[in-house]
Amino acid sequence: MPRTLPTALAINEALHIAMQSDPDVILLGEDVAGGGARDAQGVDEAGGIMGVTRGLVKAFPDRVLDTPISEMGLLGAAVGAALTGLRPVVELMFMDFIGVCLDPLLNQAAKLRYMFGGKARVPLTVRTVVGAGMQAAAQHSQSLYWITAGIPGLKTVIPSNAGDAKGLLLAAIRDDSPVIFCEPKGILFQAGEVPEGDYEVPLGRAAVAREGSDVSLVGFGATVRLALEAADLLAAEGTSAEVLDLRSLAPLDEEAVLATLAKTGRLVVVDEATPRCGIASDVAALCVDRGFDFLNAPVRRVTAPHAPVPFSRVLEQAYMPSAQKVVDAVRGMG
Amino acid sequence: MDLTRDRLREAYRTMRRIRHFEEKLAALVAGGRLGGFLHLYVGEEAVAAGVCAHLSDRDMVASTHRGHGHCIAKGVDVGGMMAELFGRATGTCKGKGGSMHIADMDRGMLGANGIVGAGIPLTVGAALTAKLKRTGGVAIAFFGDGASNQGQFHESLNMASNWKLPAVFVVENNGWGEFTPTRFVVPVADIAERARSYAMRSAIADGMDFFDVYEKAGEAIAVARAGRGPTLLECKTYRFQGHFVGDPLAYRPKEEAEEWKQRRDPLDLFERRCREAGLLEPDELRSIDGEVAAEIEAAVAAAEAAPLPDPSEVTTDVYAS
Amino acid sequence: MVTPVVMPRLGMTMTEGKLIAWPVPLGGRVEKGQTLLVIESEKAEVEVEAAAAGVLRHIYVEPDPERAHPCGTLLAALADGRDEPFDAEAFHREHHRPHPQAAPPAAPRAAAPAAAPAAGRSGRAPVAPAARALAAKHGIDPARVPGSGPGGRVTREDVEAWLARRAALVEVAPGVCLEVPAAGEGDPVLLLPGFGTDVSIFARQTPALAAGHRVLGVNPRGVGLSDAPQASAYAVAEAADDAARVAPGPAHVVGASLGAAVALELALRHPERVRSLVLVTPFLEMGARSLAVLDAWCALAERAGPDLLARALLPWLFSEGFLADGAARERTARGLAEMALRVPAATLERQAAGLRAWSGTRRDGLAAIAVPTLVLVAGADLLAPEGEALGETIPGATTRVISGAGHALGIEAPDAVNAAILAHLADPASRIAAPQDGS
Repeated sequence: MPRTLPTALAINEALHIAMQSDPDVILLGEDVAGGGARDAQGVDEAGGIMGVTRGLVKAFPDRVLDTPISEMGLLGAAVGAALTGLRPVVELMFMDFIGVCLDPLLNQAAKLRYMFGGKARVPLTVRTVVGAGMQAAAQHSQSLYWITAGIPGLKTVIPSNAGDAKGLLLAAIRDDSPVIFCEPKGILFQAGEVPEGDYEVPLGRAAVAREGSDVSLVGFGATVRLALEAADLLAAEGTSAEVLDLRSLAPLDEEAVLATLAKTGRLVVVDEATPRCGIASDVAALCVDRGFDFLNAPVRRVTAPHAPVPFSRVLEQAYMPSAQKVVDAVRGMG
Repeated sequence: MDLTRDRLREAYRTMRRIRHFEEKLAALVAGGRLGGFLHLYVGEEAVAAGVCAHLSDRDMVASTHRGHGHCIAKGVDVGGMMAELFGRATGTCKGKGGSMHIADMDRGMLGANGIVGAGIPLTVGAALTAKLKRTGGVAIAFFGDGASNQGQFHESLNMASNWKLPAVFVVENNGWGEFTPTRFVVPVADIAERARSYAMRSAIADGMDFFDVYEKAGEAIAVARAGRGPTLLECKTYRFQGHFVGDPLAYRPKEEAEEWKQRRDPLDLFERRCREAGLLEPDELRSIDGEVAAEIEAAVAAAEAAPLPDPSEVTTDVYAS
Repeated sequence: MVTPVVMPRLGMTMTEGKLIAWPVPLGGRVEKGQTLLVIESEKAEVEVEAAAAGVLRHIYVEPDPERAHPCGTLLAALADGRDEPFDAEAFHREHHRPHPQAAPPAAPRAAAPAAAPAAGRSGRAPVAPAARALAAKHGIDPARVPGSGPGGRVTREDVEAWLARRAALVEVAPGVCLEVPAAGEGDPVLLLPGFGTDVSIFARQTPALAAGHRVLGVNPRGVGLSDAPQASAYAVAEAADDAARVAPGPAHVVGASLGAAVALELALRHPERVRSLVLVTPFLEMGARSLAVLDAWCALAERAGPDLLARALLPWLFSEGFLADGAARERTARGLAEMALRVPAATLERQAAGLRAWSGTRRDGLAAIAVPTLVLVAGADLLAPEGEALGETIPGATTRVISGAGHALGIEAPDAVNAAILAHLADPASRIAAPQDGS
C-alpha cells in the first residue's frame, strides 16, 4: 500500500531530511519556528503560516530561526549567510511579498556569482506560497513565479503533487544556485503518494503525467490536476490528451515541450498566473520559435485574466483556470 | 591590538595605496583609458585602514559602490583590481563585475555593491554564519550616511541586535548623500544615535584620524568577537571628490572641500602624528610612497597588456550547477 | 509630361518578372524603339523597348536577378525633359499598380516535376505550419490541398489524406501521375472529361456505368490530384497517350467535348487500346464562339473567383430549358464552382493552348477509326454545333441527337445519355475487340 501524505507534510519531511543530512542547512522566516514557542515548553509551535515547518525547531533547536517581519533584511541576510558557507532555506510567506525583498534576489543572490567571476556561490532556497483559491484576495493570492523565472542566476521550481514536492525541495536545497521553490495553495493540503527516505527530483526536467496523441496540455503546480481532469473530459469525446508537468520553470525543459508538441501538433498551456509576459507566453513562443513545423493549430494559453485576484468566492472561481476552460480551448483550436 | 611599527607602516601603506589607486583612476578616466561608473574613496582612507587593521581573512567585509578602499584595506590584490577595472580576463572578477562589484571571497571581501544598503543585510548573514559555525570571525558592513536611511539598514540592525550577532556596522558619514547634504535627509545630528532604537551599542570616531578609528573599531570588534553583540560605529569623514568620476560638483561649495583637503587630509594627519610621536620617520613614509607608486604603475601597465575576456564568458558562471 | 515605366505583362501567363538591367543610365536619354529595360520572365530574358523617346527621370527599382516583381509594379519614370518638375512619391502613389498575386508561393521543387503553384485562386485558406512542412517534404503545394480546419485551414491531417489519395495515382509517363477515381467491377470504361472539368462532370453517368463495368475516370494533367508538369501547353495527343496507359487492357472510351477529342486521338494513335468509343458533344475545330468562351474561361479563372466563373459559364453550357429551373441553375453553379477549385488557371491556359493547336488538324482523319462508335449530339449546343456531321465521317458510327439540350449533355440529360451509352456498350458489335480470355 503506497504511503500518501498531504503536500505540506511531504515538504516538512524534505526539510527534516535536508537538515539531518547537512548541518549547514538552516531555516529562516517569519514564524517558521512559531513565535513564542521556542521559549515555551510543551507548546506546539505554529510551524509557519501553513504549518509546514512544524516540529523542526524541536529537532534542530539552533537552526530554525524566527525573524522579524523584515523581508528585505531577512532575504539579504540569507544571501549573506549562503555566500559565507551556510545553506539557508528561507520562507517568504506569500510570493506576493516579493515586492519588498526583490533586491536581495534580483541584484544580489542572482548576480553575485556572475559578478564575482564565478568565485562565489549562493546556495539559497526560498520557499514561498503561490496561487489563488483560498479567498485570500489580491495581495495574498498571486502567482509571481514568472518574475523569478525570468531572472538569470535564479532557478524556479514548482511541484504539482506531494511526492514531487519532497524530491524537488531536496534537490533545490542541495543545488548550489539560488532556487525559488513555489508551493501552490491548490496542492498544499492535497494528499499524494510520497516515497519514504531521501530522494531527489531533478531540477530542469519535466514529466509526462499522462500519455496522449491528439493534443498536449502543458501545466505546472495546481494546473496539472486541471489538465488531467480536462484530459478525462476530452477522452470521453474521443480526443486523446497528453499532459506534461513542467515541474521546473527555470531552467525550463524545452526539449520535453518540443517533444510533446512534435507528437501531437496541438498544444495548450495552463497557467494560474496573469497572461502578460508569463510562463504560458514563454512556452508558446518556444513552440513557435523552435517547433514551428510541428504546429497543426495555434498554441492556446489558458490563464487567469489580466486583473488582480478578486475576493468573492464566485469571482475567484471565475478568475481561476478550470478543466472546462481547458476543454473549450482544445475544442476551439481546430 | 598594539600598533607596532610594522602595523603602522602597513596602515600607512594601505592608506597611500588607496589614495594613489583612486587618484590614478581619476587620471585614467580623464585620459579616456577607463570606462564605467567609478566612485572614489579619496579622503576616507583612514576609515578603511583603521577598521581593517584589526581583521584577517576569516573576517568578512561588505562594502558599497565606493568600495575600492575597503577592497584594498581588506587585502584584495591591487593588480587584480586594476585589471578588473580595465575589464580584463585577469581581473579579480574575470572582468565580469567591474568597479561596483569587485570581490574576493578568499580575502573575506564580500564585494562592493551597486545597490545602496545591500551590503548591510549581507553582513548580517555573514555574522550569522560566523556565529552558527563558530568561526570566531566578525562581519563588518561599510556604508554611507545615505544608506542609513534605507529600510534594509533598519531591518538589519534590528535582526543583528535580536540575535546578538558578531557584527560591526560602520557608517561613513561624509556629509553628502550623492548630491544632497546629509543634514537635509537625516534628522539626527549623529547617525550613531540610531543604534539606540535597536538596543545596540554605538560609538563615534573622527574618520580623518586613523588612530581614533583604530581605537574605536578595535573596541567594537572585540565586543563582537566576544559574543556581546554588534556596534554601530559612525566615522565622521569627508568625500574629497565628487559622487562619481565626472561629477562636476556644482552642488557643493568649493571652500568647504578646500577646508577639508588642506586641514584634515587623513594622510597628512597620520604623518604629522607619527612625526610628533616619533612613531615613524618621514623617509620611511616617502619610501613607501615610492613603492606604492611603482606598484600601481605596474598594475596599470599589466592591466592594459592583459587579455580581454572571451565572448563565451558572457554565459558562464550564471549558475553554480 | 512624365510617363510610368512598369513591369510589363508579356503573355497571358506572366504574373511577375525580374528586373535584370537598365541599359540607359539615370538621367540618360532613350530614343523610341531603343531598349529601355531588360527583364527576365519565365526563364527568358526580354529586352523591352521604349514606346517613345524620353529621359530616364527616376528609377524606383534596382536590378536584382533574385527578386521578382508583380506585373504592374512601377519601375521608373520617363520624362520629356531632364529638368521637368517631378514629385517621385506622388508619381509612385498614382502609378504603382502591382497586379494582385493570387498565386500562393510555390512549394520547394522535388526531383519529380511536382505540382506548380495554383494561380487564379482568390482568397487563400491558411495552412498550418505542420501541414506546410509535410507538404514541402513531399514536394506538393499545400494550396492544392482542401482544408478541413477552421476557416478552411489546411491541417497536417488534410495533407496526410491528400497524400494517401495520391498514393493511388497511376503513372502514365516518367514522373507524371494521374488521378484515376474508379468505381464498379467489370470491363473497363475510361471517362475523359472536357476542357476545364474533372471526372465529376460524369457524376450522373458513373453509377449507371459502374453497375456493370469498371469505370475509370481520368483526371488529365493539372486537374484534381493529378500532377501538373510545367509546360506551355497540354497537347491533345499527349493526353491521349496518357489515357492509353491508364487502362489495364483495351477499354471502352467515353469522352466529352475536349475529352472526345482526346478519345479520337486515342483511337487513332493507340487503336489496340480501344474497344469502343463514345463521343459526347465532340468537335473537330473550334469556332469563333468557342474560342471566345475559352478565352473568357481562362480570364475569369485567373482574375475572378470560382463562383463568378461558374455563373458566367452557365449560359454557354446549358440550354434555355435547363436554365429556366432556378433551383437547378443554383445547384449546378455551386457544383461547377466547387469543381473549378480542382482546375487551376495554369492548367486552363495549358489545355487551351493544346486545344487551339489541335483544332482543325483531324478534319480528314476520322476514316481510320475502326472501333464501334457512338456519337451523342446536343441539339442546342452553342459550342459544338457540328456533331452530326462529325458522326458521318466515322465509319459505322451511330449518332444520336438529344434535342433541346446544351453542351453539358451528361448533366442536362443524364437519362437519355446513360441509356444510349449502356445500349451501345451492350451492343454485340462492341464485343468484337474483347480478348477471348475475358481479361
